[in-house]
Amino acid sequence: MAEPVIILENLSKTYLVPERDAGVMAAARSLVQRRHREIKAVDRVSFQVDSGEVVGFLGPNGAGKTTTLKMLSGLLHPTAGVGRVLDFEPWQRQRDFLKVITLVMGQRNQLNWDIPASDSFELNRVIYRVPPTQYRETLAELTDLLDLGPLVSKPVRNLSLGERMKCEIAAALLHRPQVLFLDEPTIGLDVTAQRRIREFIREYNHRHNATILLTSHYMADVEALCKRVVVIHHGRILFDGPLTDLVKRFSPHKTIGIEFEHQVEAVDYSTFGAVIEQSDSRVTLRVAKSDTAKVAGRLLAELPVSDLTIEDPPIEEVIEQVFAQEVAP
Amino acid sequence: MIRTLSEVYAAQLRTSLAVQFQYRASLAIWMIGRVLQPLIYLVVWTTVARARGGDVNGYGEADFAAYYIMQMVVTQATFSWIMWEYDYIIRSGQFNFKLLRPIHPIHADVADNLAYKLLTVVILIPAVFFLAWLFPPTFNPQVWSITAGVFAIVLAFLLRFTIDWTLAMCALWTSRVRAINQTYELTLIFLSGYFAPLAVMPVWIQNIANFLPFRWIIAFPIELTLGRLTPMETLLGFGMQLFWLAVAQVALSLVWRAGVKQYSAVGS
Amino acid sequence: MNQLRVFWTFFRLGAMNELAYRVNFFTQIFQAIMSLVLALGGLAVVFNQTDSLAGWYPTELIALVGIYLLVGGLINLMIQPSMQRFMEDIRMGTLDFMILKPEDAQFLVSVRQIEIWKLIDIVMGLAVLVVALVRLGTQLGVVEAISFGIALLAGATIVYSFWMMLATCAFWFVKTENILVIFQSMYQAGRWPITIYPGWLQMMLTFLVPIAFAVTVPAQALTGRLTGQTLLLAVLVAVVLFALARWFWRYGIRFYAGASA
Repeated sequence: MAEPVIILENLSKTYLVPERDAGVMAAARSLVQRRHREIKAVDRVSFQVDSGEVVGFLGPNGAGKTTTLKMLSGLLHPTAGVGRVLDFEPWQRQRDFLKVITLVMGQRNQLNWDIPASDSFELNRVIYRVPPTQYRETLAELTDLLDLGPLVSKPVRNLSLGERMKCEIAAALLHRPQVLFLDEPTIGLDVTAQRRIREFIREYNHRHNATILLTSHYMADVEALCKRVVVIHHGRILFDGPLTDLVKRFSPHKTIGIEFEHQVEAVDYSTFGAVIEQSDSRVTLRVAKSDTAKVAGRLLAELPVSDLTIEDPPIEEVIEQVFAQEVAP
Repeated sequence: MIRTLSEVYAAQLRTSLAVQFQYRASLAIWMIGRVLQPLIYLVVWTTVARARGGDVNGYGEADFAAYYIMQMVVTQATFSWIMWEYDYIIRSGQFNFKLLRPIHPIHADVADNLAYKLLTVVILIPAVFFLAWLFPPTFNPQVWSITAGVFAIVLAFLLRFTIDWTLAMCALWTSRVRAINQTYELTLIFLSGYFAPLAVMPVWIQNIANFLPFRWIIAFPIELTLGRLTPMETLLGFGMQLFWLAVAQVALSLVWRAGVKQYSAVGS
Repeated sequence: MNQLRVFWTFFRLGAMNELAYRVNFFTQIFQAIMSLVLALGGLAVVFNQTDSLAGWYPTELIALVGIYLLVGGLINLMIQPSMQRFMEDIRMGTLDFMILKPEDAQFLVSVRQIEIWKLIDIVMGLAVLVVALVRLGTQLGVVEAISFGIALLAGATIVYSFWMMLATCAFWFVKTENILVIFQSMYQAGRWPITIYPGWLQMMLTFLVPIAFAVTVPAQALTGRLTGQTLLLAVLVAVVLFALARWFWRYGIRFYAGASA
């Protein structure tokens, strides 16, 4: 029976930024009278995450993703609204709360540079009061899933970016948290490393039923891990639902790819749709969703088509469309 | 609770020792300065004593020697650099990780500080003997005053670290921490007995020093260990140390709570 | 010479960059004042108990403090930041950009990084010095002034050569950034005339870490204490060290160029 583990209701975070024009007069004025601009980093965000769900949290830079994650992990307190994680109020920063969550930040390290990762693991074990047997099991599992092996005994300084990230993730999971906040965990990694971490997250979620809120710029991460995505832009939720629905709702196009039986002379494709790619034997067209069936039918009737495929545009394109649609306040 | 805290300290100490050991060359170079400073003051005051025919307000050459050797030990035991570090820790986002841990960040900092002292004791002890050989000190120790002196040093460390850590938290409100830290250090130098025994300082400075916690950090443990205090004065000294420690603890918890609130309102 | 133009360009760039951060101006002023209070406060406490320190009178020691701040400012203005940057460049592998330029690499490396706000230290040091000199009044003659100038120049050259040689070690030992701290830790001894220190320390402060030449010797020149021998020694040491630093640099560059494929 799935229960909501993360609850956000009208959660908001507003910053007051002092504003000042250039010039000496303005500087003098600002000494006496300070003007402030309100920046709504997170604007009345509401959604819930059930136990064991893996939710993708998408948005361009500055959309409010990291701010939301920081509020949910207790690092920031909100200006308004309700946020609850495992029935705790995160910004109370109670000890029992901190022991059941973890935050992994893609470009920041909690591991100590100068010593091997295993030493940092040991330190975490003590700080989180992990019982020795559980620690051994967890460490063995993480070593296996992440293929850590010899990495943990080298000073972190000497590891490559991908190796370091794996150790970071391991360190963050030693205390077997129930809720994982992953802020761009695969950023800057090569393709193999990314895939490895993705597989790990999936396996971890499968084994421990951990609830995972994941932000990423890489659609491959989202497609592989998240059945559900929440899209945020300018601090507001644009979409919350299955990834497939996102495509359906926001992409007004489909792509039709056709292969020809034999070479054809120049054909004017403008009556069918926009040409994306063209070669001697293949053409890819972008077609309005509503016209897809009609155009496909016409293509089959009028041209010597040997193979026809209808696809959704790549998700990156869709997301770009989503972001582009939202007008900045 | 106490068992787990000591486990945390043990683990953190091990980590800090491992890290700092790698920078032992830097530690050694740092120590040059820390040994040189009391040496310089010692030479200056010895010169003054000689010019005055042997004595300055009850301190002869050998007395100065004893004082500054002890000053080197007490300073080393109580010293911390934490308020210079926190500006960087906060700006770089490292503070987030400290906040995510289910323990108060001060514990890691104390352990880190202790690790430094453990490692540098290897230089401190020879330095003590070296100075004692160069400038023979008067040293008529009494067992009770030395034993009491050890306790005084421990209390002095706790007091100074509490103050330093509270000061370090200023970085949560402003990035102009250098000015605050420099003012603090300057005050400490003149009003704690670091620059010179308080008996030798102008009277008005001595008067001000009595109202501040600093003389109980440096001057009191030195004078006590050297056997310059009566039992009555010793008790008074301990009382003052405990009093200021209580005040500092209150200040620390208030500043910490306000600081976290401030930080979580603004972020890094 | 082109080198002067290059130097002026670095200076101007350093200044323009920093002038945008006006807060650093106030930070530096505060810091300079703190140094001054520390130095003068120390003197005040000492002279509360005595009339002279090893033959030096209060005003003379104030002049010494002025020189201490002045020379310290000069070092922190250009020598320290450039040497620090130079050692970093070796570690990061970005030294190549300097070597490829058609200007003498040692010169470039030495004047590249300028902490413009340290001018405040220099100004403050000069101010203190001038105040002290005015109060010393009658004792300052042409001979003293000229020997002061020579001593200062010699001292600056010696300090620069010393730092240059220390920094050049980075060609061989990459993890030595903190070696520069040696000078800074020991520089505080220069606030007092080195003649008060025990002989072995005086030797160290003269020949090991050349603080005596940087601060005490110019102060001696100004207060009429300088013997011709010492001045000659200072000049000789300056010439020798400068040549040594140059030779060591070239040796280091050859090693660097040969070592990195």
